[in-house]
Amino acid sequence: MNKFFVLFLIIFLAFSQNILYAQALQIENKSEFQTKSSETVIDDNRDEIEHNELQPAGHLQQVLPYDFSSTEYVPIKLSITKEISTKDEIVEGQKIEFKVLKDVYYKDKLVVKQDDIVTATLETIVTSGMNGFPAELIVDNFEIPGINKSQLISTYTKKGQNRCFWVYPLKWSLTFIPFVGSLTNLIMGGHAKIKTKDIITLYYFPQWR
Amino acid sequence: MVKQILTLVALLIICTPFCYAIDAQSAEQLSKEQEIQTRIDKVGTDLLNFNKIPRRIVFAYDKREKKKFMTTDKALTKRQVILYDGTYQYIQTDDELAAALAREISTVMKSYSGIWGGTLDSLQVALGSKKFETVADKRAVDYMVNAGYNPLALIVFINKTCPQKRFDRFSRHNLTSKRLARIYEYITYKYPEYLKDNDYINNEYYQNFLLNSVTNRRMLQVKIENNSTEELDYE
Repeated sequence: MNKFFVLFLIIFLAFSQNILYAQALQIENKSEFQTKSSETVIDDNRDEIEHNELQPAGHLQQVLPYDFSSTEYVPIKLSITKEISTKDEIVEGQKIEFKVLKDVYYKDKLVVKQDDIVTATLETIVTSGMNGFPAELIVDNFEIPGINKSQLISTYTKKGQNRCFWVYPLKWSLTFIPFVGSLTNLIMGGHAKIKTKDIITLYYFPQWR
Repeated sequence: MVKQILTLVALLIICTPFCYAIDAQSAEQLSKEQEIQTRIDKVGTDLLNFNKIPRRIVFAYDKREKKKFMTTDKALTKRQVILYDGTYQYIQTDDELAAALAREISTVMKSYSGIWGGTLDSLQVALGSKKFETVADKRAVDYMVNAGYNPLALIVFINKTCPQKRFDRFSRHNLTSKRLARIYEYITYKYPEYLKDNDYINNEYYQNFLLNSVTNRRMLQVKIENNSTEELDYE
């Protein structure tokens, strides 16, 4: 009788375990489906495509507004028309003018002519700081006639003199005299200047979109 | 013998549902984290590609509340942008996510410039963090605009997440109100179109910023009226 009871219990258990397992699987599949459905991409030209099928990478993705496949580039050399410095009254967002230093050709076709004027934006001004931190000028958004901005790598940064090289060793060497080391805090970094003789090189990627 | 079998069987009955429940729960958790990571990667990569940043930067979602005290900034050492769960909880829109990531990207970019593989510049960012905090905020605005995100989301994001200290004179960080005022000024001068056609005008968090920045905005208004280029000492 006892043996029969134990056997019955084991069979009952096996059944209930199976049911529980099936329920757990159902929950798992549900959460998996939720993740997948949020990733589903609908192509404009076709209906929703099942994710169960293996697709090559990027197959379902929309066309991106950029394509950096090409490694072909043409350097464009410029110089500023009027010197600017962080000492002067300059503001972020101000337009600056540059001059093309020499003719630029791509596949024997003239792209930019020498002495053409190119405008850019003074994006960010970093003022010089204590302990010899240099000032910095960040210039971007170069507007070259006939060239799309998306085809240019153009961020230009000019830094002032970095005095940290000697300010920090000086500070540390003076720390044994109380408060004297802290005086080096007052040494400011150099101003950033873009001079007319500075050559700025932009990279034009004709195949990029 | 029968007793032993019965005990074993009873144990099995009790344990099995728990095991499956834990398993299902962790699978659900994992898929949720994957979803967050995918979202972060997408917005982060958009920022990199639209700004044509030719440097490697990776993005990671960390379940921890915030960075451990005294740990190095991975943005400067590993060029890795980490978004902690404590911060992610505040993010509602992709614009706000872009704001959080763009700030870190500008810090990472600093670690790529200068001598010794950017080591000196990274050190300068770490030591002079107050100054570079402002620079990172401004660059973040540029990155967001270039990638098609609304830069006002940076104001909303900072207004929601950064607490307001009493003083900043001896701190390594600026007062949040000063940061917000500088960002607002930067947008006013460089990207006024976002304030003109303001998508955030009906956003309660943005309105809260407008409310708590009346004095600073008044200062800016006077500066604009006087055509001044002087740097304002915001409150």
